[in-house]
Amino acid sequence: MLFIHQLLLPLTEYRYLWRQLTQRDIKARYKQSIIGYAWIILNPLSQILVYTFVFSIVFRFPTDIPYPVFLFAGLLPWIFMQNSVMAATNSLVNSAALLKKVQFPREVIPYAAVGSKLIDLLFSWVIFAVLLMFFGVKLAATSWLILPLLVIQLLLTVGISLIGAAANLFYRDSQYLINLLLLLWLYMSPVVYPVSMVPPQFLWYYKLNPLVGILEGYRSALFNQPFETNIIGWSAGVSIIVFLGGFVLFKRSERYFADIV
Amino acid sequence: MKPVVTKFSQVTKIYPVQQERTLKDVIPQLLRLKPWAVPQASLKDVSFEINQGESVGIVGRNGAGKSTTLKLIAGVTYPTQGSLEVTGRIAPLIELTAGFHHELNGFENIFLNGAILGMSRREIEAKVTQIVDFSELHDYMYQPVKRYSTGMFMRLGFSIAVHTSADILLIDEVLAVGDDYFQQKSLDRLEKIRQDGQVTTVFVSHDQRSVERFCDRSLLLVDGQLVAAGPPAQIFKQYHRLPNKSF
Repeated sequence: MLFIHQLLLPLTEYRYLWRQLTQRDIKARYKQSIIGYAWIILNPLSQILVYTFVFSIVFRFPTDIPYPVFLFAGLLPWIFMQNSVMAATNSLVNSAALLKKVQFPREVIPYAAVGSKLIDLLFSWVIFAVLLMFFGVKLAATSWLILPLLVIQLLLTVGISLIGAAANLFYRDSQYLINLLLLLWLYMSPVVYPVSMVPPQFLWYYKLNPLVGILEGYRSALFNQPFETNIIGWSAGVSIIVFLGGFVLFKRSERYFADIV
Repeated sequence: MKPVVTKFSQVTKIYPVQQERTLKDVIPQLLRLKPWAVPQASLKDVSFEINQGESVGIVGRNGAGKSTTLKLIAGVTYPTQGSLEVTGRIAPLIELTAGFHHELNGFENIFLNGAILGMSRREIEAKVTQIVDFSELHDYMYQPVKRYSTGMFMRLGFSIAVHTSADILLIDEVLAVGDDYFQQKSLDRLEKIRQDGQVTTVFVSHDQRSVERFCDRSLLLVDGQLVAAGPPAQIFKQYHRLPNKSF
């Protein structure tokens, strides 16, 4: 009971603080920029152009849907995950003065980092959906299923973010290590290439990566392809464990934050 | 007798102090699962109680454990040994501008800092006019706070903190809030809060005049130990008799 209460504190007693910190992140990011919020579209758009050139024109990956459309379904959730983990990892260190001054559940700080990136993701999804429909791509009726998949991805993202944020407070090496791992993870996941290109003898190990089920799930939902429910179930299980594990680790180290920052 | 709002029972606080570390030193220690930090006691076996409405000055040299005491009361750090109980909402008048974001304007920062200090949206909305009035920064509210002078910054930070309806105010060292006029205004405000008798104040300082003006009682810390408690005048006599020590 106590654990559930603790788990829900950021949603109950500290919801307003969470909201304020999320708003701060969003507002501050674009205050001194000219095109402001348009960056959340321009950034993925430019990546899509580059990847499309490299993997569709140079390497000619076999995708059953147009490559840019295939890419957008995986790239936006990936960008969300990468940005969240990187921002959350630095979030506690950047709030050092607060950690030494006021008491509140510290997970609100990395949650706010993830929250602001989540809002970016939702915005970019809407805008890209409109763009795709404009170019005549039909989104399947099953598209709403991306929402439960997003919940799974969110648990995974938050779990990793909590671990990254706490680890970086103890050892600043963590942020560099995490950036490196993220880069490796991108290429170990079906973001820029389809799963069909993975040699069958590696496929079983490949699918242990929880992002495989999530990203393939998004594509199945958006383009009305059959769901591989067993790997999605595996992803969900891993994500829940990562989230709970991250939360417990974070809460155990929390009492030392102000002493070591 | 008013209820006890802060109670330290044999509190010891030991900080891990990290030594010089190179990979060559760290790896063998990591392999033996040993931390390379050396423990350093900041408070040793300290016990005291503070009642509601009291105004207590904590006196001591640099490194005597004054700030550690405030951090323990604020709940941002925890005792290594012993226990402490604190009841009520706390407003730290320490690093007044720690929660500010430079790109946001005055209003946005009032809501952000109010939330950080534990206020609800409704509470902040009810107090925002008072906060702006007290800070006298009406003309600057729509400007990003990075355009503020240091003094203006402090004024806004102080105004937010004293409007949190906190039960315990923590005040660190020299409370410098802007120019002489605003400094006086802030001190008058604290004096008024103190006279109302509901809010507890813990004041850390080496300034004899302000401690004598504000505090009913003083605690003297020497090297992390509580050596005396009593009326400020008496405590300062003892403080001045401490042998000189160079750091």
